Amino acid sequence: MERETLVSVQDLSVTYQTRIGPVSAVDHVSFEIQKGEILGLVGESGCGKSTLGKALMRLIEPPAEISSGHIIFEGEDIMAYDEEKMRDFRGRRTSMIFQDPMTSLNPMQRVDDHLIEAIQVHEPKTSREKALERSSVLIERLGIGLNRLGSYPHQLSGGMRQRVMTGLGLVLNAQLIIADEATTSLDVIVEAKLADQLREIRDEFGVTLLMITHNIALVAEMADRVAVMYAGHVVEMGDIYTVFEKPMHPYTQGLLGSVPSVELNDRDELFKMPGEPPNLTHPPTGCRFHPRCQYAMPICSQLEPDLTKQPSGTLVHCWLYQDHPDKQKNTLKA
Amino acid sequence: METKREVVSDSVPEWQLELDKVGWLRRLLLARKWYGGDWWFVLISAILLLFIITVGVFPQWFAPFDPREEVGPSLLAPGEEAPGLNVLVLQDSEAQAFADIATKTSTIGYLMGSPATQTIRDTVSTLNEQAEEQGLGNIYQPRSTRFETLEEGLAALNAGEIDGFVGSEEELGDTQIGAGGYKELEILSGSKATSFVLGTNQIGQDILSRIIWGTRIALIVGLVSAVISFVIGVPLGLISGFIGGTFDRILTLFMDSLYTFPGLILAIAIASVLGAGIGNIIVAISVLYIPTYFRIVRGQTLSVKNELYVEAARSLGTKPSEILFRYIFPNVLPSVVIIFSVNVADAILTEAGLSFIGLGLPPDTPDWGIDLARGQDYLRRAWWLITFPGVMVTLVTLSFSMLGESLSEILNPRLAEL
Amino acid sequence: MSSSFRKFLITRILLTIPMVLILVSLIFFVMRVLPGDPIRSQLGPRVSEEQADVLRERLGLNDPILVQYGNYLKDIVTFDFGNALTQGERPIKDELGERLPATLELTIPAMLFTSIFGVSLGAFAAKNRKKPIDYIIRLFSIFIYSIPIFFLGLIFQIVFGVQLDWLPLSGRMDSMLLTTFQSTTNFYVLDAIISHNWPALWSAVLHLIMPTLTLGLALTGVFIRLTRANMIEMLRSDFIAAGKARGISEKRLVYHHALRNTFIPILTLIGLQTAILIAGAVLTETTFSWPGIGRYLVERIALRDYTAVQSTIAVFAFFVAIISLVMDLLNAVIDPRIRY
Ligand SMILES: Nc1ncnc2c1ncn2[C@@H]1O[C@H](COP(=O)(O)OP(=O)(O)OP(=O)(O)O)[C@@H](O)[C@H]1O
Ligand code: SF4
Ligand SMILES: [Mg+2]
Repeated sequence: MERETLVSVQDLSVTYQTRIGPVSAVDHVSFEIQKGEILGLVGESGCGKSTLGKALMRLIEPPAEISSGHIIFEGEDIMAYDEEKMRDFRGRRTSMIFQDPMTSLNPMQRVDDHLIEAIQVHEPKTSREKALERSSVLIERLGIGLNRLGSYPHQLSGGMRQRVMTGLGLVLNAQLIIADEATTSLDVIVEAKLADQLREIRDEFGVTLLMITHNIALVAEMADRVAVMYAGHVVEMGDIYTVFEKPMHPYTQGLLGSVPSVELNDRDELFKMPGEPPNLTHPPTGCRFHPRCQYAMPICSQLEPDLTKQPSGTLVHCWLYQDHPDKQKNTLKA
Repeated sequence: METKREVVSDSVPEWQLELDKVGWLRRLLLARKWYGGDWWFVLISAILLLFIITVGVFPQWFAPFDPREEVGPSLLAPGEEAPGLNVLVLQDSEAQAFADIATKTSTIGYLMGSPATQTIRDTVSTLNEQAEEQGLGNIYQPRSTRFETLEEGLAALNAGEIDGFVGSEEELGDTQIGAGGYKELEILSGSKATSFVLGTNQIGQDILSRIIWGTRIALIVGLVSAVISFVIGVPLGLISGFIGGTFDRILTLFMDSLYTFPGLILAIAIASVLGAGIGNIIVAISVLYIPTYFRIVRGQTLSVKNELYVEAARSLGTKPSEILFRYIFPNVLPSVVIIFSVNVADAILTEAGLSFIGLGLPPDTPDWGIDLARGQDYLRRAWWLITFPGVMVTLVTLSFSMLGESLSEILNPRLAEL
Repeated sequence: MSSSFRKFLITRILLTIPMVLILVSLIFFVMRVLPGDPIRSQLGPRVSEEQADVLRERLGLNDPILVQYGNYLKDIVTFDFGNALTQGERPIKDELGERLPATLELTIPAMLFTSIFGVSLGAFAAKNRKKPIDYIIRLFSIFIYSIPIFFLGLIFQIVFGVQLDWLPLSGRMDSMLLTTFQSTTNFYVLDAIISHNWPALWSAVLHLIMPTLTLGLALTGVFIRLTRANMIEMLRSDFIAAGKARGISEKRLVYHHALRNTFIPILTLIGLQTAILIAGAVLTETTFSWPGIGRYLVERIALRDYTAVQSTIAVFAFFVAIISLVMDLLNAVIDPRIRY
């Protein structure tokens, strides 16, 4: 099913200025998010998922900065927006659900005030009553009783707070919702429930969802497409069935291999990725995965592969699937 | 549903581990980039402190005079020339210098209450010293006559009853010197110097020398009391946090009430019982800061105690004392250093405060607080009496607290709430 | 008012009692247990041992220490501190009652000034952390903090009182006006307003300006530091990031969301920093001859009036406990996590 493109990320890089030099947490990444899809973004801790998510809303703050690239949202480059336009963009066109529902709400503000504020910030003329009316439909839909509106965050359970966060993300009809490990801190049951709800909402409101998570099973269950990140690069991206059935990138293979599956009875088959995640201050040259890759070739440590489209439709960032005249030679000219 | 959950890496970022490989000198230089203004704050305050400490240790190198000695006329403004005293004799007198009319047989006149008294005495004793060196003995000892008015004095001079008349320019008024038949022998300055950079106080002491010697007092009180608080507060905090239990609870309750109690008032209570004296002041002030060390050290000990590596060491059977000093103390150290420098600043302020309300050191001590208190009486006439000691307290406190504040910004921003 | 809130209130108020007890006992033992004889130091060495003993007997200083302690606590509970030893031997209670309003008239405006000035500067510095303005504000706060408060007062006196001659040097009101001034509450400003005595009001306000400014400014240094540190913490919190992602403007996030949350730790810390306020008040009153309890304390120290000193310090202990109570209660009112 081909969909329209909602966001097109082109050559995006985010650099942290640290004490021992720049860290490229997101390194020349390009990909697209399509309207109405659920895109899962997975990868090891520290590979730059959150940074990428924040960059999509231009929420990167010093010491980090977006050092290159464009983010085309519905045909407009939001990198060219001024602060005022950006403010309007945030919340109204893209919104974000954060990981920790315990700390992501203002403890001094009631739930209804959060909702009203979110609306009034973007539509100053809307009255409190109107704003409340508008949000109450959504709130009920999310399973928060209207009697909870007058509560303070500390009076709600974690799952309830996360639903409020979700409500805040949806209340302005944003087209793109970025959920950064939105379900991680919840227990398994609540997590599954919230995930279900997110999918229903997608179907109902037609929003697009970027789901950042460590939970690969959750991605398998919910997402339409999946993107795999490794050390600041998107290394594989494609249709969920294709990727999960036939992972192409060695890292994806390892990642999926190390997921214990309920069907997998033979425990010995659990694959353990050798080596450590790379140090991003001095990332490995060439393909950043090469120190840990069992298929590494000479070229891998010297030249970086491109993200190339495979016949299956999957995009892969690996020399195994890309030709180079000197691919098999031991020495390469720079 | 089993899922793979990687450990979220919120521990030490890699770049910080890398930092340990950099040599300390390079780290120091690199730090300028990372910390921006705070690095400069540290540098500036360190230089200032170095200077202040040098002055405090060797005041005699810097102070031109003895801070307790009356070296000039009172209330001389900074840089102002001490008024000279004219020595008038009759035009036809044979005297060529003041020495000629200062012999045992001569008589000198001056006005009542004139600074001449002091000046003549000083000059004569200088002359005698010189004569003594030449082996002449005490040959100068003029008699003196005091007059109510200038007219009487001049009349006596004209009549030959006195050999010379000494008076300041002000006192002589518009007396015609040449035309009036008098001649001016010399101008007596009397005091050791004719002008003082920062002026003199109400009893003619040199302010510059006093504030320089005051540095020593301030540093002694500040540093010694801070060291005492440190030596008592840190081990108590370590032990209390480490042992826990009832001992900890009681000690914490006590320290907390001590902490809430206004330091100056407590110091007042202690000092008013103990009485004046530098040792007593130091005791009174050092009590105030013990709870601060205690609270911070105890809090950090509690949190470090439960960290994994300490647990691990403990389970391996490491001795408690070793855990305390190998693992916990190094963790607590940075905060303690910060508190120490703030502590010194506070101690100096408190000492000045105590002296200001009359509870500090013995009254003749060259101490900034005492000088400030005494200078208040001359507020209308002599601004320099309080300005310079005040500036010194501020400068020294500023250096210490700037050091503490910027170190805390660098090492641990959370500490700033102290 | 929820029942848990009521419970909090009651516990907090009850907790004040041990706090006062500890503070008051602390003073007792400092003044009694430390070496040094208050009576000797009061009477001086020339008075004979018999005479000293008469005074000791009169003050009950020859009783066993625990009996003394009991009497002392009883005096405090009944607010009856006995008479001063010097200068007319007025009852200390009356004297303090008269002087407390003067102290309050000085400290309350100073606190208001500091809260507004210090908190807004601190918040502004936190918002602009690591920018030049942040360093300037911080330098200012360290500087202000480093100036001894009485020196600040003396400088003001020289500049505004002597050189410019705009403001009166000391006291609470022109002595000319004071002869006819009827003071019922001892809050001069209040009294002047009640009696429609406009010249007196003007004079009282003029006399207030320098001391208040001195105390207020001196406290500002601490307030800037506290606010800035807590604001920085608060600005790092998740709900600020979440708010930003919702398109809330930075200004609103800083001054509405973060600042409101910062009040909670700040109020608590103010409770702990009463020390600075009280020390400041004592020194300010001394500098400006302001007839408050701080000045009373200093006067009596000079006279070596041991009973008066001890009682005044006990009153300060009360002060501390009450301010800390008030801060916690205020906290409870603004913090929904305590209120509900
Ligand atoms: N404040 C910072 N200063 C320096 N480097 C940082 C900072 N924050 C993040 N990084 C670096 O940026 C990289 C990407 O971080 P990011 O938070 O985006 O990872 P992530 O994939 O979201 O990890 P997780 O799964 O743990 O949330 C990491 O390697 C980290 O070291
Ligand atoms: S490019 Fe080479 S090293 Fe990188 S994943 Fe592919 S085969 Fe492995
Ligand atoms: Mg993340």
